[in-house]
Amino acid sequence: MKGIAWGLKSLRRHRLRTALSLAGIAVAAAMLLDMVMLSGGIDKSFTDLLLGRGYQIRLTPKGTLPFDTEATMAGASGIVAALRRDPAIEAVGAVLGTSLYGRTADSLVTLFGYGIEPDAQSLYQLASGRDLTPGDSSGVVLSEPAARFLGAAVGDTVTLVGRLDPQTVTAGVGRRLVVRGVVRWLYDYRGQPSVGTVLPLMQRLARQPSADRASVILVKVREDAAVPGLAARLRARFPQIEVNSVAELVAHFRERLVYFRQLAYILGSMSLIVAVLLIGTLLTITVNERLGEIATLRAIGVSRATIVRQTLAEGTALTVVGSALGIMLGLFTARYLDAILTSFPGLPAAFSFFVPRADTLGFAALVLLVTGSLAGLYPAWLASRAPIAATLRAEAT
Amino acid sequence: MTLLREHLGFDSVPASVNLCALCGSVVIFSGMMPARTVARALLIGLTFAAPGTPAYAQLPAVAVERRLAEDLALRVGDTVRLGTAPDSMRALATVGAVYEPRPDPAQITKSERHMRMHLPDLAAILGAPDRVDRFGVGLVPGTPADSAVAALERTAFGYQAHASSAIASESSQTFIVVSRFHRAIAVITIVASAVFLLCIMLLKVEERRMDAAVMRFVGVRRRTIFGALLLEAALIAVAGSMLGTGLAFAAGAATNAYYRRFFDTALVFSLITPGIVFFSVALSLGLGLAAGAAAAWRLVHTRPMVLWGRR
Repeated sequence: MKGIAWGLKSLRRHRLRTALSLAGIAVAAAMLLDMVMLSGGIDKSFTDLLLGRGYQIRLTPKGTLPFDTEATMAGASGIVAALRRDPAIEAVGAVLGTSLYGRTADSLVTLFGYGIEPDAQSLYQLASGRDLTPGDSSGVVLSEPAARFLGAAVGDTVTLVGRLDPQTVTAGVGRRLVVRGVVRWLYDYRGQPSVGTVLPLMQRLARQPSADRASVILVKVREDAAVPGLAARLRARFPQIEVNSVAELVAHFRERLVYFRQLAYILGSMSLIVAVLLIGTLLTITVNERLGEIATLRAIGVSRATIVRQTLAEGTALTVVGSALGIMLGLFTARYLDAILTSFPGLPAAFSFFVPRADTLGFAALVLLVTGSLAGLYPAWLASRAPIAATLRAEAT
Repeated sequence: MTLLREHLGFDSVPASVNLCALCGSVVIFSGMMPARTVARALLIGLTFAAPGTPAYAQLPAVAVERRLAEDLALRVGDTVRLGTAPDSMRALATVGAVYEPRPDPAQITKSERHMRMHLPDLAAILGAPDRVDRFGVGLVPGTPADSAVAALERTAFGYQAHASSAIASESSQTFIVVSRFHRAIAVITIVASAVFLLCIMLLKVEERRMDAAVMRFVGVRRRTIFGALLLEAALIAVAGSMLGTGLAFAAGAATNAYYRRFFDTALVFSLITPGIVFFSVALSLGLGLAAGAAAAWRLVHTRPMVLWGRR
């Protein structure tokens, strides 16, 4: 205990250098925390987004990801019926995504349309009004931006048109629909004007009215443990279709954002190095300055272990206080950095790059604490090995 | 296309028009699977490699992106089967060329593979004759793009005209976001470096307290000691800046080598310009000198006996 108290007193004696060191460690710790949050946050956020409604498998046209292209699968209802007969599957929902238009007083607005099966939908949460029901061929749900563009509220009638000929500005098909509710689409980017109808109606509004096509089929499996096996089974059963579990989609998404993960690792490592250098340099110089004092303590019988504890205590105290400050600073800067990155065009509004989690914070703090304490090892060794007689003689002269 | 050409011919816009709708393109999305597997299963089926076979001499020619050619082991003269879906691979074509696409930062994280073909051939495969996604219009030098856009918009053909600069601005949004993120990270890094530098300089100068005390005892003026300490700080700052610049070039070269190999592209990922070097060196020199000056000022204004450790 004596050594620790001496270490803390030594820090108090040099307030300016201690304050500067704490500031340096805090900034480095903040950067480390941000980078740890970034490296794990992408996966966590994307997984949460995909598993929001519990559907663990996606079927898409071969070689594509959900809504990555305009490609669609033919014979959707047959595939859905076949999947529903599988005892391992709890629910199946087909979705068609397509561009269409909404008619306003004097013009057309471009919308994104989702054709869904209301009894097995996992794409939106109801914000107001009521949900679509199976077979509701006269109802539509709107996102808030779509409601704003169309000037429509729950209970109003809107006109959707599809298969527009751009040269004559005439629609191949149009329907007047009643707004049942306003919803929040989980995968929409910020401000995306989206509408949803039952699947057959959206298929008629889209380009291929007779082909029974879908962009993605979502599958909810009864047991999470059965997902990999079922995905493999579906892959063999439907070789012309891409089958992906959420884990596989996350792996693919991780590939696309590999740059950010690597940047996080590099900057996180650099932050750690800066913190270690700062603590190591500070303690080494402090020990060199106090060699006389240390030699005197050793001469009057203070053990080497006490001297080592004193030096290590200084490093640990700097690390603990600096890390605590750094965590607060890191959480603040993470919000700022997240606001920048989530403004990527086309990114789902619900997505987040920096996800604060207890395990993330704990990991960053532990890594800092361990490395910060280890940074004091060399100065502690120097202090414990100081030659007593020679140092005292040098001090006296 | 004819209408557009005629329209611009009769309009007041002093432009000669070059309608760039000569080539269409097919995009192959390789998704999660190896491109070779997907592409074979998806849009291209390699039928056989028989360059110059008379029966296929009249087949349409396609130009294949180098990476796609490598994935499918395609060579000029090979015959491929094309379609819009795995169950509609009915069209045959020959590989007329293998091309290296222009490096595009927007494409590097995507696993798309491209091929180019003549517009009528693509239209035939898509079953959409005489339809295009867009026209490119070249204006004669000196013609303002905005007025040409306005003139085209007035014709109300049912299309939207955009100036290239507007499209470039819109499509570069991703890179603007990345650039903002890099700037924010740079600010945090600079703050961390500045604090580190201040701390090191302070410690470095404080290490000289005994020397400063002795110099004061023997009558050396404060100004001389301050100058000596500042010179030392300046030398350290210069040496550190040079070392840092060297490290930056080495790290930049390593970054470029790694990511060029990783993404199989000729793009430059790390670009160190003279402006960046100047800014970084000026900043580190300025911070180093300021920190050294502050620490030296503090030292020369401390009483010699305190510096000597006797009070």
